Amino acid sequence: MKERDEFYEILKDPGSYGRKMKEQGRKIVGYFCSYTPEEIIYAAGAHPFRIFASGENIHFADAHFQSYCCSLVRGALEGALAGNLDFLVGAVFPHTCDSIQRLSDIWRMNVKGPFHADIVLPVKLNTESAKAYMMDVLKKFRDELASHLRVEITDDKLKNAIETFNTIRASLKRLYEMKAEDPGVISGSDLYVIVKASTMMDRDHLTGVLPAVIEELEKKKGNANLSAGKRIVLAGGVCNHPDIYRIIEEAGGVVVWDDFCTGSRYFEELVRDNADPIAAIAGRYIERPVCPAKHAGIFTRGENLLKIVKEKDARGVVFFFLKFCDPHAFDYPYMKEFLDREGIPSMMFEVEDQLPSEGQLRTRFETFVDML
Amino acid sequence: MITAGIDIGSITTKAAVMSEGKIRGTRVIFTGYNAEQAGTKVYEELLRELGVEKFDVRRVVSTGYGRNSVKFMDKAMTEIICHGAGAHYLNPRARSVIDIGGQDSKAIVLDEKGKVKNFAMNDKCAAGTGRFLEVMARALEVDLDGFGALSLRAGDPSRISSLCTVFAESEVISLISKGEKRENIIAGIHESIAARIAAMANRLRIAPLVVMTGGVAKNIGVVKALERKIGMTVEVTEYAQVNGAIGAAFLAAGLK
Amino acid sequence: MNKMPEIVLFFLAKIKKLALHFKKKKKMKEIMMVYYMEAKSARISGRKVAWITSGGPVEPLIAMDVIPVYPENHGAMIGASKMGTDLCEKSESMGYSSDLCSYARSDIACATVNGGPIGGLPRPDMLVCCNNICGTVLKWYEVQARYFNVPLFIFDTPFCHVGYAEEARRYVRRQLDEYVLFLEKACGKKMDSDHLKAVGKLSLEGQRLWQAVLATAANSPAPMTAFDAFYHLALIVTLRGTPLVIDYYTQLLEKMKDRVARGIGAIPNEKYRLLWDNIPIWPRTRWLSEKLASHNACLVADTYTSAWCGTTKYINENNFFDSMAEAYTRIYLNIGVDEMARIVIEMVDTYKVDGIVMHSNRSCKPYSLGQYDIQKIVEKERGIPCLMIEADMVDERSFSESQVSTRIDAFMEIIKQRKGA
Repeated sequence: MKERDEFYEILKDPGSYGRKMKEQGRKIVGYFCSYTPEEIIYAAGAHPFRIFASGENIHFADAHFQSYCCSLVRGALEGALAGNLDFLVGAVFPHTCDSIQRLSDIWRMNVKGPFHADIVLPVKLNTESAKAYMMDVLKKFRDELASHLRVEITDDKLKNAIETFNTIRASLKRLYEMKAEDPGVISGSDLYVIVKASTMMDRDHLTGVLPAVIEELEKKKGNANLSAGKRIVLAGGVCNHPDIYRIIEEAGGVVVWDDFCTGSRYFEELVRDNADPIAAIAGRYIERPVCPAKHAGIFTRGENLLKIVKEKDARGVVFFFLKFCDPHAFDYPYMKEFLDREGIPSMMFEVEDQLPSEGQLRTRFETFVDML
Repeated sequence: MITAGIDIGSITTKAAVMSEGKIRGTRVIFTGYNAEQAGTKVYEELLRELGVEKFDVRRVVSTGYGRNSVKFMDKAMTEIICHGAGAHYLNPRARSVIDIGGQDSKAIVLDEKGKVKNFAMNDKCAAGTGRFLEVMARALEVDLDGFGALSLRAGDPSRISSLCTVFAESEVISLISKGEKRENIIAGIHESIAARIAAMANRLRIAPLVVMTGGVAKNIGVVKALERKIGMTVEVTEYAQVNGAIGAAFLAAGLK
Repeated sequence: MNKMPEIVLFFLAKIKKLALHFKKKKKMKEIMMVYYMEAKSARISGRKVAWITSGGPVEPLIAMDVIPVYPENHGAMIGASKMGTDLCEKSESMGYSSDLCSYARSDIACATVNGGPIGGLPRPDMLVCCNNICGTVLKWYEVQARYFNVPLFIFDTPFCHVGYAEEARRYVRRQLDEYVLFLEKACGKKMDSDHLKAVGKLSLEGQRLWQAVLATAANSPAPMTAFDAFYHLALIVTLRGTPLVIDYYTQLLEKMKDRVARGIGAIPNEKYRLLWDNIPIWPRTRWLSEKLASHNACLVADTYTSAWCGTTKYINENNFFDSMAEAYTRIYLNIGVDEMARIVIEMVDTYKVDGIVMHSNRSCKPYSLGQYDIQKIVEKERGIPCLMIEADMVDERSFSESQVSTRIDAFMEIIKQRKGA
């Protein structure tokens, strides 16, 4: 797959890609969280760029965050304070969890340069008043962003943005479906890299590249070993580690779907047609699979996970959590119980930004695959 | 058919040789910093001891963190699978295995065939591993081998942190300076490590028959404390430390 | 209380309540005992029980004669009785990570075994969860909603990073109406808006009284310490809006004013005045209190107890219901770190504070993340030192006595040096 290299290049050094884009005159707006309305950023003529932990050792962030804070938050602040995110013209913080909430304050107080915007989305997603509030918040963000960037964000621009992002989402979903149909058609690491790089790559370029990747894979014959692997679903929040796919595959397993913030939750559900683009964008956040930091019913996530496992014919689930991620850790026991009741084996793995030794990972995954 | 199992751990390397479903012999040596050499050494020494030639050994399975460095193995399998197989071989009624090694600990749930149904590991943190006991033995200036017997004499076990080795060590030092009896402190240390292990085991919902393996199983104080914490009898065999190697040797017989 | 059958609790509560009514000097212990007895025998009296978060709007519950029960207050009791470690271990065996909030962990475990110092909380008929204090309560109450299978109302108060947004005000105001509807459905009766107005007046009066009580510690020597405040706090949290709260704090205020007039200090030889930040280390409050007193140091103020009278300025006395939206949204934990720092500096000035003791509480991210920045700001703006104590509010396993003791000693040496004593 020739496009493959492009995606890997971006992930190898996202900062370098960001700086290159800045040199080309692009305005780059950093964001956290898949609930960020990227369409609004794009419609403002800016480039939405998702921020992840740098993977470096923590020096600067230690002066602001205790060790019991998740490595996504600590690592992101580390990158900013180390000057690695200098190419950003702005940073936006949707309300997600307690840690991101405080990251927003601490970032605002300590990271000089880029403009700062909070998008205090509702925590509830299942009431009329929450939906009305969400629309108010999105409208406010549109106005704030337009003012920071000194542009006009018209409805037409928004509609165009929605189309662009729908194309991207539909393409990513198609890739996932192809993998689920024939796991050998693309390796787990390659698919992971494509999805993650899609949150950083120039979106117009992306809408050209993704269909090309799909076309190429449609002609390809799957790798027989991978196709025969034991089918596994991953569940969790932000996954920052492509290595786990390789290790799972080497252990005889294969990941056929996921319930990840950086995976299916990012692209599931398209923005539906609506005369009011803000209402349309809000609508998608109501419809799409919910994140544990939001509330849309007390069994929703468990039911969704079961649905995925059954639809994709998976033999087991690996829960992959960041240490100190409270929302996921609270949901885990009941979701595990849902799986236990159906006799679906599962394993839980807690990681920090720096993965534990490969040996430890292998031991766990090999044993788990053997259990299936 | 003669088979062998090699278990390369971070502190000790173990070998076991089986034939016709029976254990012929086992051996334990220190790993040192060359896992591959340790694997070869323990294997050759054991074979020499038993008077078996290398070419008589049909299959070799390696396990432990150094399992992939064993050049002469036919298959590498995780220590979880091997500990499960070993425990099942030694007692087909075993349904749960608790393994406390030098640097990690695990809990394993087995089905009636000895296959792993579920497992949990602690390989991040010294508390709940042999290392915890080593650190405390140094602080108390007591030989670690004497821990078990001493703790059984305790009248009133001290309360010591189970969360963190450094915290626990400072608590132990504090107790020593307050003149607390050694026996009580050691009993408290055992309660602490048992609490940590029990927390991991209870997450898995372990069930009888519970078997304990790994070097720490030699410490009767830890075994008793663990029994109290999980509310079930814990069985320990003479093969506790070499259980992984035995499981590997057993599984080797099943390889094609 | 643990093993008594409900009918016994019901009658005992009635008797004790009557006795309390005639007592001039009401003791906290007695009040809380009656409160919990009534809650645990609610089924007999036909009253409903609601579990509510510590920052949640309790006034409508009082107005509907629903008994409010506070799992967080219960968590503090569990911590103070040193029963936290065992319950947290139980929750871990249920699959909950040991990094989660220890209030939540102990409560979730407690519910399944009816553990804790009073034999467990009474079953809720409904759950009211307000996320102004943190996002953890959302998840905690979802767990309990699944466990108890009762209706859950979530009061979503958007975070105020730099101010109170108009759209947030609208959203929270609408939810107040939804809340009343929820209660009417759960209780099968209509809300009496006049009664609610009266409850609102009592709530505001109670908060003002509590504020006045805390303010007496601005005097030198302080007639009470933060440890006393931690103790007397229970009523304004759990029974805000009732006349009992007014009686109790009026008495307490009188007592404190009297001590101020006579120059009586809470500690025998007050030389150094400190401010406490974060939730108390419940299993160790006595140890900390004695330790600090041994250095002639008095905790004269704290950010935790003052949170229950911190938003009186947003309450409109003549329109309590509407102004609840702002009052419940702009609490201390729902604002930006820089605004929190400003409030701390205000308290440093008001209470004439020599140093800050910050509890870096593993269990509470909204309270603890940001402490380093607040520490820096306070040191820069007021030049006073700050001590960090890493621990947990309920789980004793995270507390290392010898390490904390050493730190306190070192901190006090710095303070003494600076004050030239």
